[in-house]
Amino acid sequence: MPYPFWETDLGYGPLMAAIAVLHVFVSHFAIGGGLYLVVAERGARRRADLPRLAFLERLSRFFALLTLVLGALTGVAIWFVIGLLSPDGTEALIRTFVWGWAIEWTFFVVEVLAALLYYYGWRRLSPGRHMAIGWVYFAAAWLSLVVINGIVTFMLTPGAWLETGAFWDGFFNPTYWPSLVLRTGICILLGGTFAVYVAGGIPERDTRLSTVRGAGLWGLTGLLVSVVGFWMYLRVDVLSQESFREVADRLVLPGLATEYMLVATALLGAGLLITAVLLPRIQRRPVGLLLLLFALMGMGSFETYREAVRKPYVIHGYMYGNGQRKDRVEAGGEESLLERIAYRTGDDGRDLFNYSCRSCHQLEGYRAIKPFFDGTDAAYISGALAGVHVMRAPMPPFAGNAEERAVLGAWIAERVDTRPLHEIHPGVEGIELGRLVYSARCASCHAIGGYGDVRETFEDFEAEDIAEVLADNEMSEEMPRFSGDETERDALIEYILSWYEEDAPEEAPR
Amino acid sequence: MIVLALPDYDALPAPLWLLTVLHVLTLSLHFAAMGCLFGGLLTLFGARLPGGLEHPCAKRLVTLFPSLMAATVTLGVAPLLFAQLVYGRVLYSAAIVSGWFWLGIPIMAMLAYACLYAAAFTKQGVGRVRLWLLLALAGLVYVSLTYSSVFSLAERPDAQKTYYEGDASGLVWHPDVTAWIMRWLHMLGGTLTIGGFFFGVLGRRDEAARHKGQFFFLVGTGAAFLTGMVYLFTLGDLLKPFMKSAGIYSLTFGIVAALIAVPLYLKQRLWLSGLSLGLGLLGMVHARHVVRDLRLEGHLDPAAMTVDPQWGLFALFAVCLLVALAAVAWMLRLFFRADAAGA
Ligand code: HEC
Ligand code: HEC
Repeated sequence: MPYPFWETDLGYGPLMAAIAVLHVFVSHFAIGGGLYLVVAERGARRRADLPRLAFLERLSRFFALLTLVLGALTGVAIWFVIGLLSPDGTEALIRTFVWGWAIEWTFFVVEVLAALLYYYGWRRLSPGRHMAIGWVYFAAAWLSLVVINGIVTFMLTPGAWLETGAFWDGFFNPTYWPSLVLRTGICILLGGTFAVYVAGGIPERDTRLSTVRGAGLWGLTGLLVSVVGFWMYLRVDVLSQESFREVADRLVLPGLATEYMLVATALLGAGLLITAVLLPRIQRRPVGLLLLLFALMGMGSFETYREAVRKPYVIHGYMYGNGQRKDRVEAGGEESLLERIAYRTGDDGRDLFNYSCRSCHQLEGYRAIKPFFDGTDAAYISGALAGVHVMRAPMPPFAGNAEERAVLGAWIAERVDTRPLHEIHPGVEGIELGRLVYSARCASCHAIGGYGDVRETFEDFEAEDIAEVLADNEMSEEMPRFSGDETERDALIEYILSWYEEDAPEEAPR
Repeated sequence: MIVLALPDYDALPAPLWLLTVLHVLTLSLHFAAMGCLFGGLLTLFGARLPGGLEHPCAKRLVTLFPSLMAATVTLGVAPLLFAQLVYGRVLYSAAIVSGWFWLGIPIMAMLAYACLYAAAFTKQGVGRVRLWLLLALAGLVYVSLTYSSVFSLAERPDAQKTYYEGDASGLVWHPDVTAWIMRWLHMLGGTLTIGGFFFGVLGRRDEAARHKGQFFFLVGTGAAFLTGMVYLFTLGDLLKPFMKSAGIYSLTFGIVAALIAVPLYLKQRLWLSGLSLGLGLLGMVHARHVVRDLRLEGHLDPAAMTVDPQWGLFALFAVCLLVALAAVAWMLRLFFRADAAGA
């Protein structure tokens, strides 16, 4: 690990998400809005519709400000942030795709200049030339999507690149085309939605109604294109493969994000249809703002979904979220992780935590792991570290050796509540205590009725058999030995036996 | 179980010289745009033109600032990309050690940008314009100081490790002030040179503005020269190897070209003077580049990196760049040839 680890109190996930969603939202709008502007300008010029032209000029000012200040700089900000949060991933991407970025930069230069001249040129340039610059803007902006799309989709589905290491294999990867169609649709959708919002404030009634309706249709067209893109996405082979399916099933987030995405899309579609196309009368600024909010929600959940199913990787099948390369870490391996860390803090446990867990977890706060380890002990935690990669949540294997597992286990144990569970929850006993013990010491790897279910195994066991299983650790190298006290053990056994009683409730801890 | 070997990303995708040329070229363009913006702002505040911000030349500059900012940002992306490609290991580690300050760069740039727009568009009088401009200036000062701090830290990997051990929270500002202050002041001098130049060009038909521009151009040149000399002597042990490197030639060339620009400028040979100044800038940027390599000796040796050229992609980039330049030239021509009333 050649880079230092930034120990910020902000969660890496939320920080990244906040900047990325903002940028993605604005930059898609920047493309679709550009197209909307020129096409609408052409129509308005043909009909010599002066109020409409005045509206477009206003829109283009808002547009230039938003895309140049917010769009361009949030793009730069993403780059700065991923360098801080995921320096190894950034290095891999830059080294692999530098000419891709460089090509995108040439489009970026044209795009920025065209946006400025389009805005400043309304009065200065002849209509034909003005529109020509508008088209140049749109072409350059869309072409930068064509390039960036290759790199963004690469992270999710690197495809044949994993074997060949060839630029074009990584670029035109399995999700390239679906994503391009989807994102192009989103661009048009956002362009239309923004135009509906701004048009809702036009004072002249007739212009307002016709502009709102036109922009609404425009948005719906974009929606249709993105639905086609999404359908193409769902048909991509790789995504229906085991590794993705499993992640989607094991985590709550992908399902939740999909639901949000569908709801937001439905609301936006219905909203555009009703408040813009059918009843443009009711389209006023607050309504438009609501539509934009739905769009933001849809966009945010799509990006969340994309990030979530990529777990535990930054580059799928290649590099984990904590910067470890898949082919360089071996679960239960002998190699030292500490020796590979170039920037040390002087505290080994802290270094190990940083480079193994902290890009996804804080002890407390963002995706905290303290609650998962409260009520356990150093022996359990070190043991569980050997099996992080088989837990319900998709996680990379611990990249250090056995000694380092012990160091990190002890380090975490010092920072959580290691009292026995019956001391933490005085008065709780019997099956209820057993449930807590199971939840703390087993459920991460064995959900009841879900991932890694062990109910069948214990089916014909007596209390002594279970005690034996807990005492000798023969199940798996990746499973920690039971290290709770006797009270906890007995409660756990009682709880396990309760599964097979006549009126046992269906339950799932966590 | 070790999975099958996956592709590596150690190799540079083009020979080092090519990457260096691209880096130095684009960085010089970035500095030129930044000089017009930042130096222009400084000159504007220092100039005290008759009528202040109501002076036509001042007004013109204020409306130009947002576009200059756009140019600065856009032209800054490419050199950072090429620097990251080769020097990412030291650059990003320095950025992480100063994480919060680094993160502040795009945020402050965004605010400065927004303030420049506000100054250009506000209808609330000169007081407001001045306020917005001052805020933008503060943002730019922050960005420039942070870059000096982080990039000087990037050249000192050992120091990075020490500071990181002391504080891993990203709140480290390069504490060795002597390592970056002269460097920053020198940049400031250079910026003022370009800003004064640009100001004088804008105001070439206005006596007062022209003189102010010339004045700040000269002050900037003098300041850059002095601080540059001091900076050179703070190189200490590096001075000797620098004197034997290609850097001394580019530096000499840079100084001579910059000095030639002065009489040309005073004689209002603006194109020639600008060209000379630009060449001077190129020389200095290359010298700066050489110093970085010298300082990193023993830590990071770009010349030792493996190279696996992707010529096809480079050709595609070159074609795109040419098309982009053609598009830029065409659009600018359309725009500036058009008469203001609409053709
Ligand atoms: C860090 C992960 C982890 C934890 C925590 C864990 N196990 Fe396991 N367990 C495993 C693994 C891995 C296997 C082997 C699964 C396999 O081979 O299919 C396993 C196997 C088992 C089996 C045999 C499963 C079978 O399908 O036959 C039982 C029973 C079991 N564990 C019970 C427990 C109990 C009870 C606890 C809590 C005290 C627990 N485990 C905690 C990882 C874990
Ligand atoms: C690539 C990101 C990533 C890394 C690295 C990572 N985790 Fe996780 N971890 C997750 C995610 C995602 C979850 C699921 C959280 C959820 O479902 O809310 C999770 C959940 C967990 C859980 C709870 C599992 C459960 O459901 O009971 C534990 C315990 C845990 N992680 C420990 C660790 C430890 C210890 C490390 C470091 C050795 C680590 N994780 C590294 C992403 C990661």
